[in-house]
Amino acid sequence: MNSVISLRGVVKTFGSLRALNGVDLDVRSGEILTILGPSGAGKSTLLRIMNMLIKPDMGQVIFEGKNLGSLTKKELRHVRSRIGFVFQHFNLFSHLTALDNVAIGLVKVKGMKWQSAREIAMEYLEKVDLADKARNYPSQLSGGQKQRVAIARALAMEPDIILFDEPTSALDPSLVGEVLRVMKRLAAEGRTMVVVTHEIGFARGVATRIVYMEKGKVVEEADPEVFFTSPAAAGAQKFLRSIMENAV
Amino acid sequence: MTKGGLAEDILTSQLLKENKNEKLKRLFRRSLTFVVIVLLGALIYLSIAKVYPFNWTTVLRYRRLFITGILVTLKLSAASMGISLGLGLVFAVMRTSKMELLNEIASLYVWVFRNMPLLVVILLTYYGVGNILDLSRFWAAVFALSAFEGAYMTEIIRSGIEAVDSGEIEAARSLGMSDFQIFSSIVFLQAIRISLPPLIGQMISLVKDSSLASVIALNELTMIGRQVGTSSFATFESYITVAVIYLLMTSVLSYLGRFLERRLMLP
Repeated sequence: MNSVISLRGVVKTFGSLRALNGVDLDVRSGEILTILGPSGAGKSTLLRIMNMLIKPDMGQVIFEGKNLGSLTKKELRHVRSRIGFVFQHFNLFSHLTALDNVAIGLVKVKGMKWQSAREIAMEYLEKVDLADKARNYPSQLSGGQKQRVAIARALAMEPDIILFDEPTSALDPSLVGEVLRVMKRLAAEGRTMVVVTHEIGFARGVATRIVYMEKGKVVEEADPEVFFTSPAAAGAQKFLRSIMENAV
Repeated sequence: MTKGGLAEDILTSQLLKENKNEKLKRLFRRSLTFVVIVLLGALIYLSIAKVYPFNWTTVLRYRRLFITGILVTLKLSAASMGISLGLGLVFAVMRTSKMELLNEIASLYVWVFRNMPLLVVILLTYYGVGNILDLSRFWAAVFALSAFEGAYMTEIIRSGIEAVDSGEIEAARSLGMSDFQIFSSIVFLQAIRISLPPLIGQMISLVKDSSLASVIALNELTMIGRQVGTSSFATFESYITVAVIYLLMTSVLSYLGRFLERRLMLP
């Protein structure tokens, strides 16, 4: 299978903290790659390296055969427009309506007119079941609704891959379901997704591959079935145990 | 269900009644306060009038001069508002820029004008710079006031820019927007909304501060007040007139500001 994004020997330090310590990873077309690991393992940093929101100190990020480190600013912007990103805290533009949040990328990056961008945006809001909230501002939406608007915003750009950074961690437990439902729908469409999450149910039921990280390194890569029944790494066993305990 | 509905209806009607009562009470309290204040003012005025014979006809006689003063103050304030806001915008953007040189220049500007008395800035501009460049009193006052207030506006707008959620900037970047697009369509629009209330406050300060232009004998309102006061001996009347006019001008401004704020308010 083709790789959409490949990481080669990626290292990133923040001050004295080594967030990523030599990571190699291939994200293949059509797969739902779920990244698990304790907090501080470097999962969010890894995700931001994939679209160069954070630049690696060493190593390469390769998107469709191009080394992102060697691109011009303009080329990099084009690559970013093809990589969707969904944030833990939604990061909706608070001065725009739900509809314009979805449309603005089409206008500013793809050069569309507002009117046609809004028509398209409406279709994506329908896709996440929020057509009736199009005129609402983020402050008038629940967390789950905000996250679904954010997903629609990423989708509207027709990206080749979507990166999810703990998309349900900031949500009320009762609102997690509606977001996961939308994500499952996307998975069923065969989209390429990388999901950092603590939702074990999602990882087990939807993911096609699990990557387990610890201390800035990929410790284990496995099929979900294998990972959840007999994880190889000692750290992974402990991590799973603690999560299961919390779930009960 | 019907029982609950009925109970609820009674409750809402009671709430409505209480609401109406509240409103009436508030109206009553307000009118009472107003009457008391007017009475108090009259009392103070009358007791002063016993020792100081007020002569308001003098003020009326000089009304042409006062109108000139008002116009000059309005023109001076309006020109300075425009220029200082422009300076504030430019320097605030420089102040938040990643380019060190721009940042340092903006910091220097803010440091200089926030740490000098406006009076000195006006004197320096008119008798110093104005001498060399042959500036009129009016434009010297405009430039001094603009540079001075612009430093405060820089800080206000800078804090507005910094108050914009960095997550939104990250999201815009992830969509592929350019730095300029991010600034113009995400950061700037929100920063202005956040800065609006303190900016209005600064505009009000500007109108009041414009009275210091009297030191270079510009015929704005305060200067006129002084002239009328000294030449007619009706000093108290003249300054009361000046004070009331300033109060009116700043009140109109703060009313406009509140109107604008409401218009721009997000739900």
